[in-house]
Amino acid sequence: MTMTSRKTYKLNARLTLALLASGISFWSLTTTAVAADNLNVLTWCDHEDPALLEPFEKANNVKINFKDIDSTAAALAVLGQSKPGDWDVLVVDQTDTGRLVQMKILAPLNAKDFPFADIPAEIADAKLSSVDGTLYTVPEKFGYNTVAFNKAAVDPKAMEDINAIWDPKYKGRIAIYDYYVPVIEYVAIALGKKPADLNSADLPAIKEKLIALKANAAMVGDVTTVQQALATGAVDILVGGGEWVTAGMAKDNPDLDYVIPTQGGVRWQQGLGVFAASNNKDLATKFVQYIVSPEAQGKLATSSCYWGMPANSKAVLNDEQKKILRWADQPGYIKVSHPYLQMTSDFDKELQALWAQVLQSN
Amino acid sequence: MAQSVDVQSTEARAARRGRLAGFAFTLPAVAWILLFFAAPIVIMAVYSLMPLAPDGSLSSFSLQNYQRFFGEAAYVQAIWNSVVTTAVVVVISLILAYPFAYIIAYKIPKRWQRLALAFAILPFWTSYVVRSYAWLLVLAPTGVINWALRALHLSDKPIILAYNAGATTLGFVHFFIMLNALTIYANLVQINPRYVLAAQDLGASAFRSFLAVTLPLSVPGMAVGAFLTVVLCIGDFITPQILGGMKELLLPQVIMMQLQRQLDLPMASAMSLVLTLIVAIVYLALQRQLRMSRL
Amino acid sequence: MRGKAWLGTLLSYFYLAACYVFILLPVAMLILFSFQDGRLPVPPFNGPTLRWYETAMANDRMMAALGHSLMVGVVSSALSVVIGFLAAYGISRYEFRGRRAIQGLIILPLAVCYLLVGMGLLVALSAVGLGPSLGIVIVGHVVINMPLAFAICLAQLGEHQRKIEWAARDLGASTWHVLTAVTMPMIAPALIAAFCLCFTLSWDEFIIAFLTTRFDVTLPVVIWSLLRGGLNPQTNAVGSFIFICSILLFVTVEVLLFRKRRP
Repeated sequence: MTMTSRKTYKLNARLTLALLASGISFWSLTTTAVAADNLNVLTWCDHEDPALLEPFEKANNVKINFKDIDSTAAALAVLGQSKPGDWDVLVVDQTDTGRLVQMKILAPLNAKDFPFADIPAEIADAKLSSVDGTLYTVPEKFGYNTVAFNKAAVDPKAMEDINAIWDPKYKGRIAIYDYYVPVIEYVAIALGKKPADLNSADLPAIKEKLIALKANAAMVGDVTTVQQALATGAVDILVGGGEWVTAGMAKDNPDLDYVIPTQGGVRWQQGLGVFAASNNKDLATKFVQYIVSPEAQGKLATSSCYWGMPANSKAVLNDEQKKILRWADQPGYIKVSHPYLQMTSDFDKELQALWAQVLQSN
Repeated sequence: MAQSVDVQSTEARAARRGRLAGFAFTLPAVAWILLFFAAPIVIMAVYSLMPLAPDGSLSSFSLQNYQRFFGEAAYVQAIWNSVVTTAVVVVISLILAYPFAYIIAYKIPKRWQRLALAFAILPFWTSYVVRSYAWLLVLAPTGVINWALRALHLSDKPIILAYNAGATTLGFVHFFIMLNALTIYANLVQINPRYVLAAQDLGASAFRSFLAVTLPLSVPGMAVGAFLTVVLCIGDFITPQILGGMKELLLPQVIMMQLQRQLDLPMASAMSLVLTLIVAIVYLALQRQLRMSRL
Repeated sequence: MRGKAWLGTLLSYFYLAACYVFILLPVAMLILFSFQDGRLPVPPFNGPTLRWYETAMANDRMMAALGHSLMVGVVSSALSVVIGFLAAYGISRYEFRGRRAIQGLIILPLAVCYLLVGMGLLVALSAVGLGPSLGIVIVGHVVINMPLAFAICLAQLGEHQRKIEWAARDLGASTWHVLTAVTMPMIAPALIAAFCLCFTLSWDEFIIAFLTTRFDVTLPVVIWSLLRGGLNPQTNAVGSFIFICSILLFVTVEVLLFRKRRP
């Protein structure tokens, strides 16, 4: 009996301990407080390399937490699930600045804090970064959503016509980038519409044209999926592609190329903003300054998720990297490309519904 | 007389204590399920009846979400795609897994059976997200299958195998063969071999005794496998997202779109409940077999 | 007749081999190309190199997620087994009204998609105004795993054990005493098996963890974002690493805990 009871005691003790331990760790987990030395960043996948973040983290003794978004809509969805003050910095398509300011999401910034003298005039355009003369987002990276292709399999000359992608010759060899904003805009350009004037009345024609494009395509996919499909030869053409898919792969597959069609193309441009509700605005502003500094700009331009042109022309890049990014061609490219659509939330919803219908079409 | 009253009251007290104790033991489990499973679903159901207004607030009760869901052809198509894909996956997995389990149960020596099964579930030990991704590598134009096709002169240029509904089905079948093989095997080894011997003594051929005895007795194992397949397959977002190339959307993909791009929790709730309803219908259809398997 | 049997056996083995090729092919490719020297994890094979393993090990976020996954797995499985065992004991040892209904309620989560559990928690969180966290993932994993632990324990709590429990009780042991000194040791293998199963499922669970976490995420969620964040064989390296760890764990459990008990 004594044996049993001692054993029981031991088991009891161990059980109680285990329960206590799990209880404590459980409790400590659910009550993780947001420490002052945390900076929470809502970003696209190109701001996640340790090489980019570590210098800032070390210099300021701060931990950067980030969450992936793949559209402004996704960013708004995350914000909807958060409390005010949860987020400090936002990476966003700069054309959405106005919309976000209207929603009172962004904090005003001081233009003097940022190296605007080193940013090309078209990229620093106040229409994209400011509302009523107040700066809200700082341009950091840009590139093109046009057509990327494998020049070993496709004639680069033919790709200069925006309508080539509807040619039955390429049936089953095309991938479409799963981001409704630039792809819809690109199709609008193909239809001869002016992106800036796009409205609901244009959508039926765009939808029809998109469905025809999808019928000609093999797949639709996110950043990595389409990169992989193009790089491995599953497809030869990527609609919505640009340097962001070809540049990072230049070493592994030098045949990957992109053009801006003669009819024009779409230019993406990311900006950095600070949240109006952030409890850490000074550090957040410091982070924005860091990202647009020459050192960080070079790393951001060549990030492992996707490459892109740095907004700061003093970005630290070697000649080979500049060549891959086609540094010298930029002035011409910027001229023939249109920035993203500036839309209201309602129009955004309409475009998303259209996109879902197109994806589901056979 | 007095004694019997005493016994009765003791028994009554014991019974009452038993009731209380039995209830007390199940209380943590019941509370957990009610609080973290049942209550959230009730909240979801309530949410699904309060459509999201354009300004982001919730409107008053209406069936608008469900009307919108069933009124939008793209969404109805997603339900249909999900149901068809799941049905195809269940059928193929069962057909392929049954002989596999049968051979392991009856043709492999007893002491090797465990090892044979362990090998069959090896891929289960890689991460679930990685499994679908690994298929991308196999199906790539430069992957092994295309390489084999060219080596056998069956095709002269790479075929696109990934990024379509077929690839999604393949990814699912790969996983559910393992699962169904396990449930069918567990069922087969429980069947008393004397039944088969008796049938053969009565003059039935091996094939007829299989049809008349083994197959019917292994229906519960197949039912459990099929049901688990339906539950896990119809709610999966990863496999179609990685392998499907968005050629056609399945219901979980549409639900995630509502969540990730529109933050339309009410609509996503409505869609999830419809998904659950489909599973419930399957459960009712398979109920008899599932109960027989003592799961 | 004998010739036919021989042919049948041959065909069976051929079928078995074909199935194994199908089942193991992706894993083999995954492991092979984790040693790929270059960014594209597809043939032709260049290498081998350990570069991607180094990248993965040096990835703080990955290592943090590994720790989170372990912790979520251990805590949620321990809770599942304890709660599930207690409920199974109550159901199998006591007669009370509503017993069947309670049993049905407890195993109900086995019949729904994980997506529903995750969505439910997400909606509930938003309704009560709480933020996402690893604690919620643990809650969700207990919801999906506890019914399983319950079912396993229930199947093991048979008449044989009941008689021994009675004997202990006749000797004056209290209920708690019987439970910890008699019942639990008797079905220890089942408890351990239930724990291992729960752990495996929690370790691999994606959708609940994806929906209810923000910065502190579990391994499957990090792998998912890795997949979306650029193409490279690091994913292969992580996948292979998990694979090897899982197998080591499986073999250890098998050898240490189960072999010993066999005569």
